[in-house]
Amino acid sequence: MANDVVTVNNLVKTYGKTNEKQYTALKDVSFAVENGEFVGIMGASGSGKTTLLNILSTLDKPTSGEVRINNRDVTKLKGNQMADFRSKQVGFIFQDFNLLENLTAYENIALPLSLQNIAPRKIKPLVNQIAQRLSIESVLDHYPTELSGGQKQRVAAARALVHQPAILFGDEPTGALDSNSARELLETMDSLNHEDQVSILLVTHDPFSASYCQRILFIKDGKIGQELKRNGRPRAEFYQEILNSLGTFVD
Amino acid sequence: MLTKLALTGIKSRLKDYIVLFSGLIVSAATFYMFMTLATNKNFLGNNSMLSANNTMFIFGFGAVLLGIITLVYLIYANSFLMNMRQRDYGMFMMLGAKSRKIAQLIFVETFSIGMIATLVGSAIGVGLSQVVAKLLVRQLGLTLHNFNAFHLPAMLITLIFFGVLFVLSAFWNSAKLVKTPVMKLLHQASQPSRMQVKPVVLILQALLGLALLAVGYWSMASIKLLNLIAIPLALVTIVLGSYFTFNATFIWLISLLKRNSKFALKGLRNFTLSQLNFRIHDYTRMLAMISILFALALGAITVGLGFQNEISDLAAATAPYDLIVYHQDQQVKTAVAQLDLKSKAVYHYKVVDGATYYSVTELQQQPLYYVDYGKSTGAEMVMPTIKRYAAQDYLKQGSAARYDAARWLATKSEQSTEINVKFVSAAKFAALTAPTQHLQLIRVHDFLKDSKKIGQIESAQAKAAPQFKSVLANSKYVGYGVYKSLFSGMTFMGFFLGISFLAMLASCLMFKILSGAYSDVRRYEMLNKMGTRRGTLKHSVAIEIGVLYALPGVLGVCHVLFGLQLFKMLMINPYQGIWLPFAIFICLYIVYYLLTTWLYRGIVIPATEIEK
Ligand SMILES: Nc1ncnc2c1ncn2[C@@H]1O[C@H](COP(=O)(O)OP(=O)(O)O)[C@@H](O)[C@H]1O
Ligand SMILES: [Mg+2]
Repeated sequence: MANDVVTVNNLVKTYGKTNEKQYTALKDVSFAVENGEFVGIMGASGSGKTTLLNILSTLDKPTSGEVRINNRDVTKLKGNQMADFRSKQVGFIFQDFNLLENLTAYENIALPLSLQNIAPRKIKPLVNQIAQRLSIESVLDHYPTELSGGQKQRVAAARALVHQPAILFGDEPTGALDSNSARELLETMDSLNHEDQVSILLVTHDPFSASYCQRILFIKDGKIGQELKRNGRPRAEFYQEILNSLGTFVD
Repeated sequence: MLTKLALTGIKSRLKDYIVLFSGLIVSAATFYMFMTLATNKNFLGNNSMLSANNTMFIFGFGAVLLGIITLVYLIYANSFLMNMRQRDYGMFMMLGAKSRKIAQLIFVETFSIGMIATLVGSAIGVGLSQVVAKLLVRQLGLTLHNFNAFHLPAMLITLIFFGVLFVLSAFWNSAKLVKTPVMKLLHQASQPSRMQVKPVVLILQALLGLALLAVGYWSMASIKLLNLIAIPLALVTIVLGSYFTFNATFIWLISLLKRNSKFALKGLRNFTLSQLNFRIHDYTRMLAMISILFALALGAITVGLGFQNEISDLAAATAPYDLIVYHQDQQVKTAVAQLDLKSKAVYHYKVVDGATYYSVTELQQQPLYYVDYGKSTGAEMVMPTIKRYAAQDYLKQGSAARYDAARWLATKSEQSTEINVKFVSAAKFAALTAPTQHLQLIRVHDFLKDSKKIGQIESAQAKAAPQFKSVLANSKYVGYGVYKSLFSGMTFMGFFLGISFLAMLASCLMFKILSGAYSDVRRYEMLNKMGTRRGTLKHSVAIEIGVLYALPGVLGVCHVLFGLQLFKMLMINPYQGIWLPFAIFICLYIVYYLLTTWLYRGIVIPATEIEK
């Protein structure tokens, strides 16, 4: 428990006010992510994945339930506390529109640090360090429109990690990439997880992406169902197992 | 079905529609108000120092300018509407609506919004004209003749002008929507690309801009030297100068700031700078135009109010004596005693055969005061001063001093006062067989303060001694009234011109900024996800829009400060009391700024605390 970076207990999210048409997107969701773990949440589109991530990252409030990140109940946060929490503890990569088009790659990556009022002279080495880690040093002066999809996502990953957040959230980060770039990004995430002990929670509907995780939780109609563990097996084997259980889970 | 969808679209964007609508209403109302003046020849003729034709010309020029601003304004308002609606319409097309049907819808939407706004705007314009005229009359003590709030030609011009423009924009919108691919309608994010400008080019442009501005300012200040060529020269150089200054100086400044990592890498500064950089490129022409319109508008108000200030100065300068007492009774005496006297002189006269005789000795004992206009040339007005003649000035027949004395000491108003007022030696005066009468020439400390009492004394005299009615009609007090109504007209027109221009140019800027807001939504959403505090986002918006407002404002103020040099020909001191018009203007401008910021925030800043 003490080693968990994310703990979710009995999370419920109902959209719509009491007098309106209501829709419960999350029904009693509970799970945990250990420090340094690479966990995937897999489900079809509309199953509540984005809703879940939005609540975990304080972009949205749950109807009931508890979310602890780094042992802090984030559902109790208010106003600026929520923003500060996001800027310090969470790194985010989305499917698209990750980068601000009017800033260069360098400026995009530096932004989370500026927002935390880190001294400007300390920013440069931090940005260069993470850029090197993600092999994007050569494109730092480029604007997002001048980058390929894969480069953009790596810049986004750099921006998500530059301030060393407690956890990296990915919401279908490979969704808009071709298969090669997707593979590259996933391998980068895998190596970040292995070598730099970055905790990652990846949300996806794509079995291939999910096969990079150590553990997969299946979500359907707002409920967590089955769980699969990789247990150090080769990725291809795990991928096959995911495909198989997907068939059974859907039924 | 589609119509219903379109209507729900309008409902969900109610706030934006209200903005659009009120913007259009303001523009129609302003246009109408301006036209009530510009097309009312009687009013212009009666209220201006210049002839009616000249004033018509000035207002015609103003109307053309206003027409151009309105056109630009409508283009921006229209692009605001399109930016707001294109996603919805793109969606309808995705759902399989025929593009002809969509074209029809957008046509009807544009045209009906436009025409309803125009009608409401004109109606409000009538009311506003009335209110503004009343307010100005009361606040500034103006007197207006032949001013009607409802003026049919103005109404027709407004309706036709706006009607034509809205038909055109309705056609434009429907053609554009049909031609644009659906996907582009759905995802139209204007993507700023790298600004490739060489620093050398920027520096050259900046220098050129500043040099052109300097030439323009210099030519306005040296109108004496350049005569009429000064105005077109100033206009061309200032327009180009403003453009280059914006294009180069600010881009250069921003990139300088961006390069300074100590400054830029704090909070959202880098983002704000980038937004500005991106914007200013897009806005250069607009900002240059606005700085000039700003100057015109502020200039009009300043000059208008300047004329108002001049009333007292000029009235004080029309005559050395504030009151002449011809007839003394108890009532007049008590009233005079209540004045704040500066000097009082009594002169004795006798009337023989219709001529008024004075003793030169008496004049020499107490010489009269006169107004010295100094070396006032055509190019610059100088405040006249009050001086006093010397005793020997009265020795010569036909001297200026005697001529002046005849003017003030006449007891009847006739064509040639010299003939009817005669100056004789003391001995001769004593020998005249007629009763000795006397009059008093009075000066007060503050004519304006006492003018009401002076007017009462004059009418009391005219009532008690009707034979003096004709000379009383030439008094300083009467002249003051004439001046006042002339300048009132000028002040009113200046105010009107200024406020209309301001309303239009600030609305232009507002819509230009707001129509860009929709493409900014995503950026702010992303910043929010990254954990930017709401306050920081708001601050960034305030600064970004603040700079966009301040730049043309500051340059416009500079234009005015130099431009007022031109009015030295018409006014004694165009810079007197300048803080008042500036304060009024800046307050109004700030209101626009705050409104824009508020609306912009409403569009781009996401609600952080989503309640369950
Ligand atoms: N703001 C909202 N209001 C109402 N319903 C919503 C809202 N956001 C999402 N939903 C609904 O919640 C369900 C889950 O959505 P989402 O979490 O986006 O799914 P996923 O990311 O797995 O595709 C969907 O049925 C969606 O329609
Ligand atoms: Mg989703």
